[in-house]
Amino acid sequence: QRTNISIMHPLVRDLYKRVIWVGKDYPQGLDYVRDKWKKALRNPHNCPSCYNQHNGSVVPIVVDDDASYKIPTDCERELRKAVGKGRHMVREMEGIIQLKKYRTMNKRYGKKKR
Amino acid sequence: IFQKMKILVGVKRVVDYAVRVRVANNTIDLSNIKMSLNPFCEIAVEQAVRMKESKMASEVIAVNIGPAKGGTETLRTALAMGCDRGIHITTEQRTDFLEVQPRTVSQIFKSLVDEEEPSLVLLGKQGIDSDCGQVGPMLAGLLNWPQVTFAASLEQGDDGDSTLKLDRETDSGTEQLQVQLPSVVTCDLRLNEPRYATLPNIMKAKKKKVDVRDISTFGDAGVDLEPHLQVLEITEPPSRQAGIVVQDVDELVSKLKDEAKVI
Repeated sequence: QRTNISIMHPLVRDLYKRVIWVGKDYPQGLDYVRDKWKKALRNPHNCPSCYNQHNGSVVPIVVDDDASYKIPTDCERELRKAVGKGRHMVREMEGIIQLKKYRTMNKRYGKKKR
Repeated sequence: IFQKMKILVGVKRVVDYAVRVRVANNTIDLSNIKMSLNPFCEIAVEQAVRMKESKMASEVIAVNIGPAKGGTETLRTALAMGCDRGIHITTEQRTDFLEVQPRTVSQIFKSLVDEEEPSLVLLGKQGIDSDCGQVGPMLAGLLNWPQVTFAASLEQGDDGDSTLKLDRETDSGTEQLQVQLPSVVTCDLRLNEPRYATLPNIMKAKKKKVDVRDISTFGDAGVDLEPHLQVLEITEPPSRQAGIVVQDVDELVSKLKDEAKVI
């Protein structure tokens, strides 16, 4: 039986690739970025309708074997919203990288006070 | 002249600014070290791309001298930031002053300028590995073009299309200059904030044209590829000494007088 969380959505894969690309320049290092993001991507709270509430626990939705890729529309909508938030987070990370670079370069090569 | 203005941008592959370099055997060990685009070259690329976006220029060409694999990565970053095409001059020599030196680089750039005929050559102020700052002035000398170094702002000039108005930042203050094109400009930190080359842009940049040539083709055409300056010694700066805690003002004064000899 395949579930919808055993298949990675193409948008999520693309998001993770963007994260890894930005993570290589991130001040705290790629390992830190990878840990945090893997946890966040696996968090069911980011996409509640992708999981069935079953006796209080989250259970992923079962997908037909013959369907190449099919998930319910609510889940798709929520997933896209979550990916949007993720992409915003990636832009924030880019901002942090640029800021750190500017500050370091300014310290090293900036105008020295007489 | 602005509509057809071609800009040539120098793009250097250097040790990443955040890396702590280690000195070993009188040289800097470059194996497995993170390399990236020189921050001043990023500023030059950003300026060229902004000029293209504001219709001041029609084409931006990025030029890199570097190893076969690493150089293409650096060029791809420049292309992802918005350059139109790249020229990659492959060499297995070290490009951090130890083997390929500014004189060689300027001569190579001169032959590229003769070939491509740009109106403006934008370079970074200096490479953060060699800290020479020589290629800009040397290239301007070889081409007999006017130059503006340490540019902190760049606009279209008042006297028509073929002039640029620039602010030049020095230790004693800021100069306002107007320069006639064609010219060489080296970029300082305050010129702009370079955009980050995101992964989708890097993917799009793979389709852009990169002209790969070996450095020996320039050698055959008369460029001097040999280093003429020999680095005798490379040492790390002295490590910081631990501080001393003094008991009272008298001890502080006596230490300043006797040991530090500043009073």
